Amino acid sequence: MTPAPRTPRRTPPRRRPAPAPLQRVRLDNGLVVVARGNRATRSVTVRLLLEAGAAFDPPGRAGAASLLANLLDRGAADLDAQAIADGFDFFGISYRARVVHDSLDLQIRLLAEHLPQALPRLRLLVEAPTFPEEDVRRERGQRLTALAERDQDTYAVADEALAATVFPADHPYHHPVDGTRASVAAITRDDLVALHRRRFHPAGSVLVVAGDLDPARAIDTVAQAFASWSPGPAGGERARFPDAPRPCRPVVRVRPIPGKTQADIALGIPPGLRRLDPDLQPALVFNTVVGDLGLGGRLGAAIREKAGLAYYAYAPFASGLGAWPFMARAGVATDKVLRAVRLMRRTLREVMRSGLKTAEIRDAKRYLAASIPHRFETNHGAAAQLADCEFYGLGIDYPERAPGLIAAVTPSRVAAAAERLLDESCQVLVVAGPSLSPEELS
Amino acid sequence: MTDARLARRLTAPARPRVLRLGNGLTVLLREMRQTPVVSVWCWYRVGSRDERPGITGIAHWVEHMNFKGTRRIPKEQVVRQVELAGGTWNGYTYLDVTTYLETVRSDALEGMLRLEASRMTECLHAPAEVERERTVVISEMQGSENDPRTYLDREVAGTALQAHPYRWSTIGYLSDLRAITRDDLYAFYRRYYVPNNAVLVVTGDFRTAAAIRLIRRHFGRIPRGADPPPVRTVEPPQCGERRVLVRRPAGASYLQVAHHAPAAHEDDYPVMLVIDALLLGNPSTSLWAGRHGEGPTKSSWLHRALVQGDLASDVSGVLVPTRHPYLYVLQATVRDGIDAARVETALLAELDRLGRGDFGERDLQRARNQFLARYALESESPTELAHQLGFFETIDTHRLFLDLPRRVCAVGAADVRRVARARFDPDRRTVGLLRPSGAGDGSAA
Repeated sequence: MTPAPRTPRRTPPRRRPAPAPLQRVRLDNGLVVVARGNRATRSVTVRLLLEAGAAFDPPGRAGAASLLANLLDRGAADLDAQAIADGFDFFGISYRARVVHDSLDLQIRLLAEHLPQALPRLRLLVEAPTFPEEDVRRERGQRLTALAERDQDTYAVADEALAATVFPADHPYHHPVDGTRASVAAITRDDLVALHRRRFHPAGSVLVVAGDLDPARAIDTVAQAFASWSPGPAGGERARFPDAPRPCRPVVRVRPIPGKTQADIALGIPPGLRRLDPDLQPALVFNTVVGDLGLGGRLGAAIREKAGLAYYAYAPFASGLGAWPFMARAGVATDKVLRAVRLMRRTLREVMRSGLKTAEIRDAKRYLAASIPHRFETNHGAAAQLADCEFYGLGIDYPERAPGLIAAVTPSRVAAAAERLLDESCQVLVVAGPSLSPEELS
Repeated sequence: MTDARLARRLTAPARPRVLRLGNGLTVLLREMRQTPVVSVWCWYRVGSRDERPGITGIAHWVEHMNFKGTRRIPKEQVVRQVELAGGTWNGYTYLDVTTYLETVRSDALEGMLRLEASRMTECLHAPAEVERERTVVISEMQGSENDPRTYLDREVAGTALQAHPYRWSTIGYLSDLRAITRDDLYAFYRRYYVPNNAVLVVTGDFRTAAAIRLIRRHFGRIPRGADPPPVRTVEPPQCGERRVLVRRPAGASYLQVAHHAPAAHEDDYPVMLVIDALLLGNPSTSLWAGRHGEGPTKSSWLHRALVQGDLASDVSGVLVPTRHPYLYVLQATVRDGIDAARVETALLAELDRLGRGDFGERDLQRARNQFLARYALESESPTELAHQLGFFETIDTHRLFLDLPRRVCAVGAADVRRVARARFDPDRRTVGLLRPSGAGDGSAA
């Protein structure tokens, strides 16, 4: 008889899960294919990312890319909408197309056994959509209803007004992804056909397949379906958008919406950072402290936790082919707007004056480095991370390199990034909801 | 692969190790070694159903207070220790359940168990924190009211249900949020947060034997409490259609059609999942997984009839697994220039097809395929599986979740006809219309 073991104080050390197998190839037509295996799952996510986001809408046709995305499955080559839908839906393959400013992405999520028949169908959708006139008309009508709904949404209106104020009218980020009523009403089928011809090419696009698969064999399956996608014009460099100008004095905009009990506040400071900016990691650390950790970082602590003014107060962080401004957001009761704006400004002023504490920087670095495995927990999460890394030229080894990059962030680099992100003299403040005069908010 | 084989292949990796501690705490454990994370969920069998007028919203507010520090863990450390382990944390409150979760690096498991054990027994509910949180919760309510559909949701649930406590929303009434006291909150917390009313779920990268030792160490000594009182009210049968009109500033008109849904343990529930697959596609049993921007499928009946039929710009529906019978609510956003009555007629015509049996075996096979694919997608990561096991164990038993693929695959055309005829009876229907204020008068209500 062996004596009962003493209860260990800690979980005993053991082997870590093996890293997921990962492969990347560039097909002859320029399409980059990335495959990641996760045999513990039964599903696969396929994500195809094209440099065809709203930033590439033709002049006066804001919303064209997102209408185009919604119409890809309404007819392709000799398949009509019903045949396409049935081909996905019968096997429980969920499909969606989505557009942001930089990119357009198609995603399917399915049981692994359906991958071989789903990929050729996806290829038809990107290569040969037919955009039936009837569906273009219907999609435009639905979009106009959706835009009327959006005009009632304080969060979306604040977002839109901030971008429209920060970015000049000819900037790719000036217009909302979904367009405006005037621009959407003007979009024709010809616009969509031309946009598709111009932006849908394998060169510069990324296809990630993640899930219950062997990477080498999955890449072969993808190649079979996509290798003959005609290359089109030689793929150029990734687009790079100019920085928004800094206004020479603070700007205040109010967008009243009747009948709202809550207002949305958005404060932006242009120009901010691009994704490939060398200061990206210190800027992320800075943003995490100011507007993310806990219930919204320092902003959340001041506006939600200490003053009890808001359910959310935080700093979203965005960076892409162009720079997005530093942003602070809060949703507060309409009669608490002035107080919340004062607290928001005071919090940022305090950060500018005194900087961040060493302990805050340490916490943020630990959080950012340690949270990477969690982002790969699901197949769609892994596909999104890898597609993003490849699209922005960070490399698919970026998630492995990131902890080292984060560790190398010093307090002085954070201070330098803060200097770039915050500037009291050029804040753009937008309030959506109550009818206040801009002077009250200045 | 046959449906039955596929169903077994999907449920085998979800099956947990089940343990009940002496104090009544139910523990579900499932090793999943694909990612170096563990997901810890602590569930309580308490939700807005356990409230009464005067204290509506209290279950949710208690959840907020339980992030505000305990006797051993200061407020700022509650989420900090999760974040330092690279984790995400959250909590939510709904009709039947309240839950707290952390998904963290696997070496941080014990810290999370310590946090949940402390949260179960020794939250502070400091009076100053209660007052600050009062306005935060009211702000949460007002934020959701910015979407005019919130008003319609409330009116339809409150009209279709006249007696059962599912009739008010989890956020509560404004008057109650203004009046609830610290003592109300603390008493509610102490009554429901006992181990015999809780379910602890741990999934991910750990060794079961070691995890059980840690769980016994942190939860084993918590004393059993009095069993909380059950909900006694049963909704009386509805006899006659109910209609409700809401007027709010809005960008469109919204139509809702609600029928009484079965509880998750009832035989009708898997049939309703098949019906939901036919009407909207890709039926979900997870409140957590989200739809990833995937709306109704394009081959679903309601999308074809309403959206492709130029009557609505959007259509959606919710079939939530619940302990007691709740509602199956279908919603359409009425297209500009279209009479809402036409949308209603077209929607009801699709429901009639179900009762008439106007569908084929291929429709049923599509519904089964969609259910099985969605089931896999919603349960294959540690966080998602822990949600599903915990949610079903809290409302009834996790075996209900494991048994769903088999039950859904057994649904036949006769079941669909029978359930549709009984449940979509016009006398048991509630129709709600939200019309933008300032527009013409409601004709549907």
